Amino acid sequence: MKVMRMLWVMLAALFLGSVPMFAQAGTTTGFSPREWKPALAGIGMAIASGLCGLGQGRAVASAAEAIARNPGATAAIRGALILGLVLIESLALYTLVIIFVVS
Amino acid sequence: MAQEPEQDVWTTILFNKYLAGPADAVLNAVGIKPENPQHPWQNWLTMEILVVAIIVVLFWFIRTRLSVERPGKLQHISEVFYNFFTEQTNEAVTEHGERYMPFFGTIFIFILFMNLIGIIPGFESPTMTPAVPAGFAVAVFLYYNFMGMRAHGVGKYLAHFAGPMPWLAPLMIPIEIISHLARPLSLTIRLYANMFAGEQVTMAFLGLTYLVIPVAFQGLHVFVSFLQAFIFMVLAMLYVGAAVAHEEEGH
Repeated sequence: MKVMRMLWVMLAALFLGSVPMFAQAGTTTGFSPREWKPALAGIGMAIASGLCGLGQGRAVASAAEAIARNPGATAAIRGALILGLVLIESLALYTLVIIFVVS
Repeated sequence: MAQEPEQDVWTTILFNKYLAGPADAVLNAVGIKPENPQHPWQNWLTMEILVVAIIVVLFWFIRTRLSVERPGKLQHISEVFYNFFTEQTNEAVTEHGERYMPFFGTIFIFILFMNLIGIIPGFESPTMTPAVPAGFAVAVFLYYNFMGMRAHGVGKYLAHFAGPMPWLAPLMIPIEIISHLARPLSLTIRLYANMFAGEQVTMAFLGLTYLVIPVAFQGLHVFVSFLQAFIFMVLAMLYVGAAVAHEEEGH
């Protein structure tokens, strides 16, 4: 429960702390996407890379454990590991392509 | 996309100088109007032709040096590659794998050479533009569907889309169609994004420092080139294997 409380406090601080941004003058529409593109691109890419890192970490961990249990099957495990890593990597790269397409 | 206008590689300049006329004639015959008639050749097309020429010369050279009693170094290397391709193909495509092996071997060698040629200064990888990986992905898509239809017959191959039970068909058919269409898309984006991102990262670090760090990224580019060529080949094999596989029960 302490973690949940800390998360709520951080979220509240984030929202409250961003109020001064509305004090900008000069944009008639009030929200022009062009200025937000770099920030949102960075956030999107960071989320994609972070989750990709988590997924690849799990793949490598289970591959290392499998090799430790059964060293005779190292070649097959290594093949499955490489294939899995590249497929997970490509998910993060789809986000990168979207960033380049959009901006 | 937000890129600076591309600079021409020396092959593109040569091709545009001497062969602009025939290229315009071919494009106009197909119905495409080139936006700049003096400049119909693009970087990726001329670099691809150059890579094809290099591969053909290399393999012709190997072919003339083949010998059973005293094999040379190049023959040893090609035998390693040949065993590698045959072993991988027989693993993925369980029956009659040998007849598909030339296609996969060609894919691997071609993509590998195209990825690696970008490291030499003055050359540009054709796989850095979205057109070239898209061409490979479409070729693989057509190939595995054609091989599936040849192994099973057109009607039976399309009936595989309906899934294991006939009453699941309205659910399975859209899912299968979407997943089949997603395969060339993912192949394209995977290869293109890996090569393009590698170049962009190297450029970003070159903007910071000329010293040791960009060389590390070129090394990463070499590793990623091998890996991406291998993965393209393995995925093509898996698709062909899935398309050609005969179910064991009921046959």
